[in-house]
Amino acid sequence: MYMNSEKPKYLGFGLGLRTEHYGDILGDDPGSAAAIDWFEIISENYMVPGGRPLYMLDQIKERYPLVMHGVSLSIGSTAPLNMDYLKELQKLEKRVQPKWLSDHICWTGVHGKNMHDLLPVPYTEEALEHMAGRISQVQDFLGRSIALENASTYVTFKSDAMTEWEFVGELAARTGCMLLCDINNIYVSSFNHGFDPVTYLEAMPKQAVVQFHLAGHTNNGTHIIDTHDHPVVDEVWELYGKAVQLFGEVSTMIERDDNIPPLKDVVVEMERARTMSKDILGANV
Amino acid sequence: MKLADLQDMFQRGLMSGDQEGAGQPAILDEVNTSDKEQKDVLFGVYQNAYVLRLIEFLQGDYDLLETYLGDEGFDEMARAYIAVHPSTSHNARWFGTGLPDFLKNTAPWSGLPQLAELAAFDKALLDSFDAADALHFTPEDMAGVTDFPGLVLHSHPACFRLDLKTNAAAIREALQEEHEPPALEMLEEPQKWLFYRSADMQSMYRQLGYEEAMVWDEMVKGVNFAGLCEILAHYSNEEEAPMQAAGYLQNWMAADLLMKA
Repeated sequence: MYMNSEKPKYLGFGLGLRTEHYGDILGDDPGSAAAIDWFEIISENYMVPGGRPLYMLDQIKERYPLVMHGVSLSIGSTAPLNMDYLKELQKLEKRVQPKWLSDHICWTGVHGKNMHDLLPVPYTEEALEHMAGRISQVQDFLGRSIALENASTYVTFKSDAMTEWEFVGELAARTGCMLLCDINNIYVSSFNHGFDPVTYLEAMPKQAVVQFHLAGHTNNGTHIIDTHDHPVVDEVWELYGKAVQLFGEVSTMIERDDNIPPLKDVVVEMERARTMSKDILGANV
Repeated sequence: MKLADLQDMFQRGLMSGDQEGAGQPAILDEVNTSDKEQKDVLFGVYQNAYVLRLIEFLQGDYDLLETYLGDEGFDEMARAYIAVHPSTSHNARWFGTGLPDFLKNTAPWSGLPQLAELAAFDKALLDSFDAADALHFTPEDMAGVTDFPGLVLHSHPACFRLDLKTNAAAIREALQEEHEPPALEMLEEPQKWLFYRSADMQSMYRQLGYEEAMVWDEMVKGVNFAGLCEILAHYSNEEEAPMQAAGYLQNWMAADLLMKA
């Protein structure tokens, strides 16, 4: 168990590493890249035998602190933990030496299949106990505490016996895992399920929160889909401001996975987060 | 309901989204109603994402095949592939690896043999791109060789060979250059292609002559230098065979195609 592991150091403001930006990041003229404090990599993109992906990663690792973010741990699945996956993850971790590793509070498949999606879990005692046991197993295997992110959800279950924020808080309390608070995902789920996103944020255990994600989404009127293909919307910026008030300095990054703009444009969003954080925390000091 | 049963039901619902006449997924009975939207629409977000994401993986890996088949044709083919090859890997990178075989063995696509070969060409480029790293066999290594006849050479892990029976390479080239692709042509002799990775980590390919391909293939099987010379001697002058073999070796070494043992 990693109940009392030390909270990782604050990294500042970063971006999700995307291949489209390699040239700007590693070019001779630092340009926009100079403002970036750290990068988050998608672990699976580098869980390959070798070649250019790992070659580029090694170069970026020389210049920036990195954190690893996975999408296939499937911590909520009732299928057995995929030990092959964990071994590959550990191998990458040894190479990257990330400041921390994260994945999602979700499941991705059962019966040996992978849906390649972050599927919702019911907020039940059974799911909580099941997931807490698996988080502990993973943390024991890796020898370190992992961070888990709240996923955007589009459905909830009749069997839900608690709120999402109660479920997430309890997971952290039982396992000592850290939390990656995705501000956009909280907003998306609050819109889809009709809860107050600030209530969610206020319920998060401050000591456990190590990272914020900010991203854009697609609003279909009756529901919002977490598409990461647009800039961050005003409502999410507003919620981010509230999060900064509540949690203080938390390593923050912009996630963009589709319609990926030039690096300088994503850096503008990242700098907006930095300025907001500075203004809010400066005013509170 | 037990968590395992709920996940089983949820996954069945996801995978039935593309099946005609599948009806309402049973999981909807376990899902809360929403004030704003029908729950089948909300569950449909997951259903649509499942298929579209997998199609996107295939589009990323086989973009020229998509150009060749057109959006509709590619979509139909991809959905058929997804139906029989649901992803079993934790990494999207490996989802499409079965596509060349699928196209070769599944009607109606098997009736167009250039499709499987176009896919195999792209798969070889992908496989070369992120194949394992290994030290190259260099002139310094060569200088240290004391037993030339017994020298066994090793292909770098990023090297792959492909024989094409159709003009898929010409079709591919036309697609790349945004020209009208030529009609299918069955070749009298298969074309021999070698895929490899350049020093700056890019996937490359070149066509081999019959003789070079034969020597390469024998080298990959573990035949030593003397054995390669013997094989060459059958096809050309016996006295020139060692020089020819040495020439191939030099070229392969210069192109980083060989791995240090």
